[in-house]
Amino acid sequence: MAAIEFQGVSKIYPDGTRAVDSLDLTINEGEFMVLVGPSGCGKTTALRMVAGLEEISEGALLIGGHVVNDVSSKERDIAMVFQNYALYPHMTVAANLGFGLKLRKLSRDEVRSRVQRAAATLGLEPYLHRKPGALSGGQRQRVAMGRAIVREPRAYLMDEPLSNLDAKLRVQVRAEIQKIQRTLGVTTIYVTHDQTEAMTMGDRIAVMSDGALQQVDTPEQVYRRPANRFVAGFIGSPAMNIVNARLTRVNGNLIVRFGEHSLEIDDEVLAERPALLAYEGKSVILGVRPEDLEDVAFAPGGSNERTIVTVCTLRETLGSEVLVHFPLAEPAQDATDAGELIEPLGDASSIFVARVHPETKVREGESLRLAVDTRRLHFFEPESGLAIYGDDDAAASRNGRERVQLQPASGLGS
Amino acid sequence: MIRRSRRSVSTGHALISPADWRRPGVRWGLGGAQVLLLVGLVVIGLGPLLWLAKSAITPTLDTLSHPMALFPHGAAWNNLREAWTNVHVGRYFWNTVALAIGSWLSQIVIATTAGFALSVLRPKYAAVINALLLTTLFVPAVVLLVPLYIEIVHPPFIHHSFIDSYWAIWLPAGASAFNVVVVKRFFDNLPREIFEAARIDGAGPFRLFVAVVLPMSRPILGVVSVFAVLASWKDFLWPLLVLTNPDRQPLSVRLPNIQSQTELGVFLAALLIASLVPIIGFLVFQRSFLRGTGLGGALKG
Repeated sequence: MAAIEFQGVSKIYPDGTRAVDSLDLTINEGEFMVLVGPSGCGKTTALRMVAGLEEISEGALLIGGHVVNDVSSKERDIAMVFQNYALYPHMTVAANLGFGLKLRKLSRDEVRSRVQRAAATLGLEPYLHRKPGALSGGQRQRVAMGRAIVREPRAYLMDEPLSNLDAKLRVQVRAEIQKIQRTLGVTTIYVTHDQTEAMTMGDRIAVMSDGALQQVDTPEQVYRRPANRFVAGFIGSPAMNIVNARLTRVNGNLIVRFGEHSLEIDDEVLAERPALLAYEGKSVILGVRPEDLEDVAFAPGGSNERTIVTVCTLRETLGSEVLVHFPLAEPAQDATDAGELIEPLGDASSIFVARVHPETKVREGESLRLAVDTRRLHFFEPESGLAIYGDDDAAASRNGRERVQLQPASGLGS
Repeated sequence: MIRRSRRSVSTGHALISPADWRRPGVRWGLGGAQVLLLVGLVVIGLGPLLWLAKSAITPTLDTLSHPMALFPHGAAWNNLREAWTNVHVGRYFWNTVALAIGSWLSQIVIATTAGFALSVLRPKYAAVINALLLTTLFVPAVVLLVPLYIEIVHPPFIHHSFIDSYWAIWLPAGASAFNVVVVKRFFDNLPREIFEAARIDGAGPFRLFVAVVLPMSRPILGVVSVFAVLASWKDFLWPLLVLTNPDRQPLSVRLPNIQSQTELGVFLAALLIASLVPIIGFLVFQRSFLRGTGLGGALKG
């Protein structure tokens, strides 16, 4: 076990592309850190630099307090689980598990007992004598995990290990990986583009975009207090609704206007975001999470100042909830730059989504009154996209604020 | 499973559907054409070999008086024994085997290690070497005969002529750009992640080569082996040039030499012996190697 520390680490390719740009990140001993971001954001490159599979162009990488920039993969004592498993096709499961141990000159008995133990942990005992070709996808995934576990390394590096499993198996293995990591307490870096995996698995989440770190925090904090527009739009599903808005003061109350709607801003919000006062009379970017919009019939007590009236254009019944799509007159901001993660919905830019009670009566084409939980509105600076909070407390949960970039993600390998 | 579904697709979308096959015109017309084609191919492919086998055990007088007779008057098995012992085909045979094994070994070792270096280790200058290798492919072998001969007579550093030594055959055989290119192409297509996994598991370049890359390369090793053995078996010009001692020459060089002094039946028997090994060898190798069993289950998808 060891802490892993990126100190201004960059990866610059010969053509000048900066796949990872001055990354500063510390993964504590025994911590489960999830690197999340859209394809091409540099998260996999960052992971491969820890593994020693990519050279580090700038900065220093520390494992257990020692700079390992020039240490070979072999001597870093880390184990990696690959997206496509990368099992040795000509070896049995037992040989696959034991290969690394054999190379480390462990005694035969030690190898056998460790392989047995790992196989027992993962339920692989019946398959020890099969070759990978005779295993199902889920079993291969376990072998890949087992190959990391037997080594008892200082850190696990996982590169989207679940992306090749079907949805049901993914949920199951997700829980298993978490359990194993908690039991063994090994420092883990887990790369994914799936924000659900990130939210459910990580002790902390590091959100990356375009080679730069956007925010590092616990899942709750990243969700509740996103550092900028990118994080706000990327974390959460369906994505946060984001729209250009303007702050004005009417009868002494601060009002946010967007499209034909206006909402009163609570004192609670102002208490949490004192910096908002400075934006009076100016434009801001407003963010509303779909679950903070509710059919008035199921949110009694909603006053006029805290509701909006609109027309439902699409109703998606999910059983436990209903997603209601409705248009805004004002063109909405792109919720996120992660184009691949948003389902294009016709003219997606002006569509808002509300997640409402499953028994809502609203139908497509009907008018709809939605109560807005105005205590949970999000505000961002229009130019930089940074979240508007107070002053210092927000900076604490924000990392790399100077380098926030909101250009569309480029097509680098993720 | 994939294989099964693919097969069903191919029958389902064949040019002639099962329903068409049930029509008598299609059945007899096309069926007949298929049979004729198959028979024609068998006669062209297998005919000469079988004719040689028949002639090898036909008494010489029979072959001379009725060259085209399908069934000889009695079999002269003696031809084979005489060829093996009296004409020393046995010795030449083992010479050929020794040459083939040595050439095969040197080709396999050089092709795989060079392919590994160029494809997997990839030093910075790999691109240059690769380009040089490819250019040598464009040089006709005949052009190289004289320089190569001089090289063998006066090898650098060793100062001892390789003439009449099997090294004169084995060493140049290894210098095959074609093999290196073929093997490199195959290595290029092996999944990098497996090499990376091995590196993280603690494998150095040698381990990676022996324990991971070679076992995954059985199909291509089979291809190179078949080419190597066949080429060595039938090579005539180079052995003729560098092996002057008849006792050390292979079948390909000796057979034309002994033709004038040997009875026809015995000579044909010698030809049969000479051609059996490549045929049998190919059948065996094809079964064990050319099946692409190397990569099952390495990666998902």
